[in-house]
Amino acid sequence: MSRIRFEGLTKAYKGVMALDHVDLDVAPGSFTVLCGPPRSGKSVLCRLLVGLEAPDAGRILFNGHDIATVPAAERTLGYVPQSFALFPHVSVFDNIAYPLVLQRVAKPEIARRVAQAAELLRIGSLLQKRPAQLSGGEKQRAAIARGILKNADIFILDDPLVGLDFKLRERLMDDLKEMRRVLNATFLYATSDSLEALTMAQDLAVLDAGRLIQAGPVATVYLQPQHVRAAEMIGFPRCNVLPGSVAGGHCTTAAVGFPLAGDVAAGPVLVAIRPEHLMPTTDSMADGIGEITLIEDLGAECVVYFTVAGQSLVTLLPAAQAAAFDLGSRFAFALRPGTATLFSPATGQRVGQAQAAETVHA
Amino acid sequence: MRTTWREHAYHAVLWLVALVFFAPIAWIILSSFKTADQILATPPVLLFRPTLDNYVQLFARESFLHQLFNSLFLSISAVLIAVAVSFLAAFSFSRFKPAGTDFLMFLLLSIRMLPGSAAILPVYLMYVGFGWKDTYAGMILFYAMFSIPFSVWILKGFIDGVSPRFDETGRVNGASWLRIITRTILPQVMPGVIAALIFNFIFVWNEFLFNYIIGGLQTSNVPVALTTGLYSSGGVDWTFISALTSVYLVPPVLVVYFFQRYLLVGMTFGTVRGEV
Repeated sequence: MSRIRFEGLTKAYKGVMALDHVDLDVAPGSFTVLCGPPRSGKSVLCRLLVGLEAPDAGRILFNGHDIATVPAAERTLGYVPQSFALFPHVSVFDNIAYPLVLQRVAKPEIARRVAQAAELLRIGSLLQKRPAQLSGGEKQRAAIARGILKNADIFILDDPLVGLDFKLRERLMDDLKEMRRVLNATFLYATSDSLEALTMAQDLAVLDAGRLIQAGPVATVYLQPQHVRAAEMIGFPRCNVLPGSVAGGHCTTAAVGFPLAGDVAAGPVLVAIRPEHLMPTTDSMADGIGEITLIEDLGAECVVYFTVAGQSLVTLLPAAQAAAFDLGSRFAFALRPGTATLFSPATGQRVGQAQAAETVHA
Repeated sequence: MRTTWREHAYHAVLWLVALVFFAPIAWIILSSFKTADQILATPPVLLFRPTLDNYVQLFARESFLHQLFNSLFLSISAVLIAVAVSFLAAFSFSRFKPAGTDFLMFLLLSIRMLPGSAAILPVYLMYVGFGWKDTYAGMILFYAMFSIPFSVWILKGFIDGVSPRFDETGRVNGASWLRIITRTILPQVMPGVIAALIFNFIFVWNEFLFNYIIGGLQTSNVPVALTTGLYSSGGVDWTFISALTSVYLVPPVLVVYFFQRYLLVGMTFGTVRGEV
């Protein structure tokens, strides 16, 4: 199975940096998700890898070989672009068969493989229809089927589920994971939806403004963010990020304070606290007491917004637990020890971590 | 739904306007079946025994079939060449956006702003100098050149409307540019291509001035035949004019009748993309 490595990959459009010295390893057989907000460089990275554009600097190594000069058609990669790009003037069958027709595969073999791909994506009954007759989800499945039909062991999917409704996305996410297992291939998947990224990824690469800010196994990126933007971008509800200051091995914010693990230079910091790490407790055990401003009911869970000393925070509670609260009610909370992460306000880089052993009251 | 008197009145006005515009055409077609005396009779003769004499005489003329052939040959070949060249040019402008595309597009359109009579003298001198006057190749070249700007404009609008993702899908899967252009883009902009063909066909079919000046006996078309054959034996030869005009009307009427929906798309300059 092929290994991809990006080294110092740089690309700018009219002086605006789209990718800024990106170094990334995509492990063979992994499901790697590129996650970042729009215009963070995800699609550009995909397009450079596929060969639709050339980098300004840096290398793309394919099993150790630089493929910068290899034409797009000769890179053995499957590609599902952001839009469906299904040819409207031919049938779904002809759309899916397209890569095989270009490879001059024999007709019976084409029919067999198209049927197989269509079966995998549950669009077998739609093959004779025109793309205009398909729903959004069916079009996306057809586009994915075409993308996976090429003889390749690396597949690049550029935000393939964008614009689809939640239910459909959920089902297609399962399908894609299953497909990776069946094809036994490497998947590089770009998305701006952090929930989608967390659901799909084995490895996660977080991009922001063209820079790779963190890459690694999904749990590591989630629990040990190395950059404040990684903490902010990954996770739902959004991570609490509040200004604080460090003095004498202790961090203080408007809402909560805690001791630090190891040495952290005194001065201002940004503190990231995951919503689920702020837990309701009794007044006597509380690290802080706030007032609830909004409760969003998600069914099994509730997103609870509250303010403490003018600082807005959010937490995630099981519905049964959230039922005890109302708008405007007091919310005594404790911070799970060792979970808060500190970042430099200047660079955004991680500078320290809360101490795991005990919690100090604010 | 019940038709109201308003709708009846509306339809009556539409018919009236249509008849006013159609009256000269009806007059010339009816005249082609009359004798010279009947054509010029006052008051006009409405009931008459139709005659095919005018057509018999028309087709008996040695030059007529040659001129009809010239009109068809020049129109079809110039338009096919123009649209083929324009399609490739429009694709390049749309996809590769060479430096100065906007200015080039403006220059192209500005050619259409130039009245033919302003260009006729330099074109005439050039054609005489090159020895192209009254040659098929020269006439086709001129008509194609004159048809290209408008075609590029129409087609660029249509090709802009086709997502470059289609091209990219082709490139990633190993399709050549030629295949992408002919198999992927062309079918999607067919309404624009047909609109460009029709517009240019009508332009070349009706063109008189340049054919008269830089053409000659060998390449003269029907409009030139109409003008040069207008007077005969000291007066206007109405029987010839009416018969020739009636025959001359047939190809554009057929083209417009069968492709009128594309004509509408072309008039909107590709703003109603593909939806015909």
